[in-house]
Amino acid sequence: MAENKNIEKISGNNKVIINGQLQTDADLSQYNYLNLGPTHPATHGIFQNVLKMDGEVIIEAQPTIGYIHRAFEKLAEHRPFYQVTPITDRMNYCSSPINNIGWYLTVEKLIGVEMPKRVDYMRVVIMELARIADHIVCNSVIAVDTGALTGFLYVFQWREKIYEIYEEICGARLTTNIGRIGGFERDFTPAVIDRINDLVKHLPKALKEFEKMVMRNRIFMDRTIKVGGISAERALAYGFTGPNLRAAGVDYDVRVMTPYCSYEDFAFDIPVGTQGDTYDRFCVREEEMWQSLRIIEQAMKNMPDGNYFADVPEFYLPPKEDVYNTMEGLIWHFKIVMVK
Amino acid sequence: MAVVQTDAPEMYTGEGFGLTRLEKIVGLARANSIWPLPFATSCCGIEFMATMASTYDLARFGSERLSFSPRQADLLMVMGTIAKKMGPILKQVYLQMAEPRWVIAVGACASSGGIFDTYSVLQGIDKVIPVDVYVPGCPPPPEAILDGILKIQELVKHETFRRRNSEEYKALLAGYGID
Amino acid sequence: MDNKVDNALIESLVQEQFPDAIRGIEEHYGMLDIITRRENSVEILQWLKEHSLLQFNFLTSLCGMHFPDNAGEELSVVYHLHSFSNNVRIRVHIFFPINDPVVRSITHIWPAANWMERETFDFFGIKFTGHPDLRTILNMDNLGYHPLLKQYPLEDGTRTDKEDKYFGR
Repeated sequence: MAENKNIEKISGNNKVIINGQLQTDADLSQYNYLNLGPTHPATHGIFQNVLKMDGEVIIEAQPTIGYIHRAFEKLAEHRPFYQVTPITDRMNYCSSPINNIGWYLTVEKLIGVEMPKRVDYMRVVIMELARIADHIVCNSVIAVDTGALTGFLYVFQWREKIYEIYEEICGARLTTNIGRIGGFERDFTPAVIDRINDLVKHLPKALKEFEKMVMRNRIFMDRTIKVGGISAERALAYGFTGPNLRAAGVDYDVRVMTPYCSYEDFAFDIPVGTQGDTYDRFCVREEEMWQSLRIIEQAMKNMPDGNYFADVPEFYLPPKEDVYNTMEGLIWHFKIVMVK
Repeated sequence: MAVVQTDAPEMYTGEGFGLTRLEKIVGLARANSIWPLPFATSCCGIEFMATMASTYDLARFGSERLSFSPRQADLLMVMGTIAKKMGPILKQVYLQMAEPRWVIAVGACASSGGIFDTYSVLQGIDKVIPVDVYVPGCPPPPEAILDGILKIQELVKHETFRRRNSEEYKALLAGYGID
Repeated sequence: MDNKVDNALIESLVQEQFPDAIRGIEEHYGMLDIITRRENSVEILQWLKEHSLLQFNFLTSLCGMHFPDNAGEELSVVYHLHSFSNNVRIRVHIFFPINDPVVRSITHIWPAANWMERETFDFFGIKFTGHPDLRTILNMDNLGYHPLLKQYPLEDGTRTDKEDKYFGR
């Protein structure tokens, strides 16, 4: 079993290495060294940080990651395409459906299958629900980390409602494995549609309540504004994406720049920050939830009729009654099952 | 909101007094004020957050006070995949906890490695520390986590004072290389 | 826009600038794939980033690949670049033998490459010269091998609840 070398360095002898630099005796007497994590409550996603501090100011930090390395790549190498989906669930487990659908889109591109509009719209609804669920975790937990537990309790009720929608669609709460390569296994049931409409109707009230509680809260603002600020140039150089990049002031959103899943059909705004600090990231996520609600509303209103799967005879199993009653259906069935 | 009622232990009662064994009273008190240490690494940790939050409300069972410091914690809740890199840290946290301590392995990964039978993942935390209750599921729903907590409460309630000094317990710890 | 940057334009510009360094240019699913030699890769990447029209300013991904059957060119490094101003993505490939896994680092062009190169080193044993702090990143320090190379097994082997007969073995 591996010994954790960094911990030993801090607690045992006086040898401290930060980012490849052996700290000199002069450094050791001038600065404080603090080991943060990997089990600190603030190290979400588990990482260790060895901090070099001048008083309360962190001069340098050596992060160590890999405490939940689960070898997704090697696992995926050993599996057929459709068995990779459950692994993608567990990558960003706050918004598993987005990972699932990302994987489906990749495979569909690879095998060259076009989705019907209805599938695209259903996917957009699910992805935006997942985005809301993810941002609720981010934003309520940053509030918890800065000392406000109440907001977390308020919005998590609504996160449960999103879980209920997932359950209605696919039967699972967190690791969803939602849909299939090439569409869905079944259409949205009336219960799903009711629940989504209910959420769109009632979530704004809860979100407003949360924002009222946190957004202009003096303590929260003091603890997040100008904390962890990242400039746009730095964010690009370090490969930031998503809300973190937008908070730094880069108006890039892949849903607009390279629309997939018919995102070009929807009207929504891209919130952009100015400072790139924690507060901006919070605000960008907050606004994205509102925009997600807008997208869901549009998608539910304009949901086109049609198939909930791509009817590609090479890949889609024919209906069971055809397999048993017609020669053609039987041949197709065997062709897909035996050859593919 | 449901309030959990706990029956009083068996007592000899008279006017204004009751007589019972001390360990039953201590067990009752301990069981309903467990301080859990959430050792949440991945997906199951998110379900634990749901368990803590308003809908499922772990506070009903007297466990709302999370102790992020192992020194004051009674219950180590290991939720999520423990990589081999994390194994020694988990053991260190366990060693830092004071007796009596209980361990609950939440989810398939913590119990057995789950779907991650890979070179980097510890195949169940019982390879490094003793476990009292396993909660299956990938991830287990909050109801299952609550059920695991209730199972732990049963264990706590009925534990005798002598258990932690017994030969069996010492042998169990020695099996994990813990003195 | 006058000069709309598309794959054909990128291809002609790259061919013009580096006539000897390009081993081949392919297009898969609409994405250009420039295959080059590792002696020239850093210059090409730098040029792609600093070109006034192309402006590939974003390093999306950097990773290794292992093809055990490709004798003499078993290992590969892929760079995924993205130009935000033109909204074009391309790939740059290099191939080299497994017994000489040394590539020049690009951390001075994109700081983002720092952890990606560490990861590639960790999983494939590819050494990046000029990297400021090339250590393992995800695996344990004393793992002793590079697990994503194809010859190493996936499974742990200490698992006790998995019976071979259920897995057709």
